[in-house]
Amino acid sequence: MPQVLPLTMMPEGTEGKVVSINAGRCLKRRLVEMGFLENTVVTVHRSDRGALMVNVNGSKYALGKGMAMKIMVTDCYN
Amino acid sequence: MANKNKMFFALAAGILYVLFGCMQIVEQFGIKTGLAELLLIPGDIFGGLCLVVIGAVFLYGAKELNSGMNMGVSYVYVGILMSLVFMAVYVLIIGASLLEVYLIQNEDYLEWRIIDDIRPGLYLGFLSLAGYVAWRGRFSLPAAK
Amino acid sequence: MTQNKITIALAGNPNVGKSTLFNAITGAHQHVGNWAGVTVEKKIGTRTYHDTEIEVVDLPGTYSLTAYSVDEIVARDYVVEDKPDVVVQIVDATNLERNLYLTTQLMELGSRLVIALNMWDVAESRGDKIDTTKMEEFLEIPVVKTIGNKGEGIDGLLDEVLREAGKGAHHEHEVSYGNEIESKIIELERILVNDDALSARYPLRWLAIKLLDGDENILEKIKVSPMATQIDNVLNTIDREDCEASMADKRYEAINTVLPQVCERCVKEVTFSDMIDHVVTNKYLGIPIFLSMMWAAFEVTFTFATPFMGMIDMFFGWLAGVVAENITTIWLGSLLGDGIVAGVGAVMIFLPNIMLLFLMLSLLEDCGYMARAAFIMDKLMYKIGLHGRSFIPLLMGFGCNVPAIMATRTIEDERDRLITILVNPFISCGARLPVYILLAGAFFGRDAGSVIFGLYMLGIIVAILSAKLIRGTLIKGKPAPFIMELPPYRIPTVKGSAIHMWEKGSLYVKKAGTIILAGVILVWLFSAIPSPGVDAAFASEEILGTGDSLMGALGHVIEPLVAPLGFDWRIAVALVFGFVAKEIVIGSMGVLYGVGKDEDALGDILVAGAMTPLSALGLMVFTLLYVPCIATIGVIKKETGSWKWTLFAAGYTTGLAWIAAFLIYQVGTYVGWGL
Repeated sequence: MPQVLPLTMMPEGTEGKVVSINAGRCLKRRLVEMGFLENTVVTVHRSDRGALMVNVNGSKYALGKGMAMKIMVTDCYN
Repeated sequence: MANKNKMFFALAAGILYVLFGCMQIVEQFGIKTGLAELLLIPGDIFGGLCLVVIGAVFLYGAKELNSGMNMGVSYVYVGILMSLVFMAVYVLIIGASLLEVYLIQNEDYLEWRIIDDIRPGLYLGFLSLAGYVAWRGRFSLPAAK
Repeated sequence: MTQNKITIALAGNPNVGKSTLFNAITGAHQHVGNWAGVTVEKKIGTRTYHDTEIEVVDLPGTYSLTAYSVDEIVARDYVVEDKPDVVVQIVDATNLERNLYLTTQLMELGSRLVIALNMWDVAESRGDKIDTTKMEEFLEIPVVKTIGNKGEGIDGLLDEVLREAGKGAHHEHEVSYGNEIESKIIELERILVNDDALSARYPLRWLAIKLLDGDENILEKIKVSPMATQIDNVLNTIDREDCEASMADKRYEAINTVLPQVCERCVKEVTFSDMIDHVVTNKYLGIPIFLSMMWAAFEVTFTFATPFMGMIDMFFGWLAGVVAENITTIWLGSLLGDGIVAGVGAVMIFLPNIMLLFLMLSLLEDCGYMARAAFIMDKLMYKIGLHGRSFIPLLMGFGCNVPAIMATRTIEDERDRLITILVNPFISCGARLPVYILLAGAFFGRDAGSVIFGLYMLGIIVAILSAKLIRGTLIKGKPAPFIMELPPYRIPTVKGSAIHMWEKGSLYVKKAGTIILAGVILVWLFSAIPSPGVDAAFASEEILGTGDSLMGALGHVIEPLVAPLGFDWRIAVALVFGFVAKEIVIGSMGVLYGVGKDEDALGDILVAGAMTPLSALGLMVFTLLYVPCIATIGVIKKETGSWKWTLFAAGYTTGLAWIAAFLIYQVGTYVGWGL
């Protein structure tokens, strides 16, 4: 069964598929502009600092933990 | 296995950099190891710490490669890049001294010989240079706009 | 002539250009409806090609064909149940690995596949080389290169589709799941073959695999099968979760054995950039690596600049000589020589330092490392009450606060930006260094280096505490969320970095040419005009730089203000003029102590009794903390757009400086240190 979890909980080096973004409208738009759409695959490179390093749509971003908590993902494919 | 070579390279480079870095720090505190003259080791805490950091990057890479992590090679590459950066820094320092001697003709530099500016960070860099040449295919980055 | 009719389905991941390709194939001949029973859009189009009428069905975009979403079920059911003649999978050439996952699943479904390798031009321009001939060989599926948005490769694709549709027997190419799972698959196939209803509709192997995969949709179907108990018995012998995971792994394994042979560079996408990131963001090594790089930058800045500083010094020395020789009018000679040449020269001598520092920072910025530095420092910055992006402006402050404050423009949140601007002046800029060098050198001898380092640290600590204080009182709230793009690493070009260096560094030259020029003229005028009641000529030798000048009078007026700090009137005046530019503190002390620009002589005079080590330390701390120079104040006004905050910055810094110097002097005197 796929597990739905916040992006911050994803282990480093894994991929997840965005399920929902539980953020306010403004923040949500920012994230959508960056490519955090539903069903987009996000790769988490680093999550052991104050911010996450993620790959989405071929771009790499540093993303604050608070914001990453609002992005719900499933570990995809399985 | 290519990774085996890289592991041994990283191990050797790591040990050398940490060792020379420590010697530079120790030298600054006035502890004479007797090697300073021979190996051209200056007393330099921060420069020494930087060498230790480079060594640590190499050793981390060796550790990762040893435990079968392929990403360990990244540490070897970054270690090489960093030591090349530091080599460039020391080359620039020699360049600055040459300018003092020939262009400014600064009196303080009358006695200056090139050996005075040779540092472990410079000659250890040749090891990394060899590594860079051996694996140069992997060091590919686009040029900035 | 009889017209053939075939049906093809377009499958693919979302965002691979499926709709574009669909439009390119069918043109206007399409209609939109819904899939039976669900609200997923169904698009069907037609196209006649070489006497064959092709019906094209656009399947919903999916990443896989498990049964987790309606989209996936719709796509799968269509392929399995309606049995289109050919399934065309549109594959995004820039992301082969992810796309091929779907391919493995379509292959298992037993459908006749043609791959449209879309967007291969993008992949190629990125440097990926995809060998389609090899790809066809390994996958045993025809591969056609297409560029949907340009309509390229459509005819080739349709040719291949017709050829494939015309083929009789179909060879199934499948993923091998390893002995253990394969034996279960065979076991299940043997049972399933007895269920006529199911085996007529679905490929047996696929059913077996889906059962092992834990596919709910299929498990539902099995419940009504006469073979249900037998199947359950087999399934109970395995650890389902383990099995699911290892099957997915096997699929990836299959892809990853094919990928390296088919494609150069696009394997698993671990670019060199990713490798560097992996190391420089390491939990333990990230910050040490960053500090090492900073040390390298500063080392180059300070050592390589020395010869150039020597050259500039020689030039201004020569210029002063020319002035002294050729200008015989005393006041004009003094204005040009002691005032302008000496003053501007004292500032311009730091130009190599400033330029090199900006060159180093530009190199780090252009290669992409600065963005990582912000990422690495974000946690620390957040604790301080600042934003990850605040870090770069703070770092630039070590060069000059003016461009540093301008660099805060990259911080989006206004409050974060304001705090970064307000604490930036505490970061000790290059202009304050000559003051430290002179005083620390004269009073602390061998420990001068440590004292100067300590001053830099003090500046950083004050900046941190101030940020916390301001965040806790005036500008409440948490730092804005941190989002920042991390561009791929690039090799910086000399030209690009030189341009960036010039953009920032030229501000310093401009400052030397305008504000500082005006400042030194003002300083000279004050020291040349006799104070009221003194009977001497303007700019005469008795007046210049003595207590009888207007400057002396000014100094005596403000002396009581700084007396508790252990400063006399000369230092008071020097500090006032330091507002023009902090470098001037040393220059005007030289003038006031009557030694001109001979710094060694100034040091000697100060040590000989004009100051104590304690008051010297106080002066250095005061210089570090008090009101930033006029150019910085100007840029604070410009960037905050508010006089209120500008005045706050000036008042807060000066107040803090006074308190710090007061404590140093008074406590030091009380405990009898350094007298």
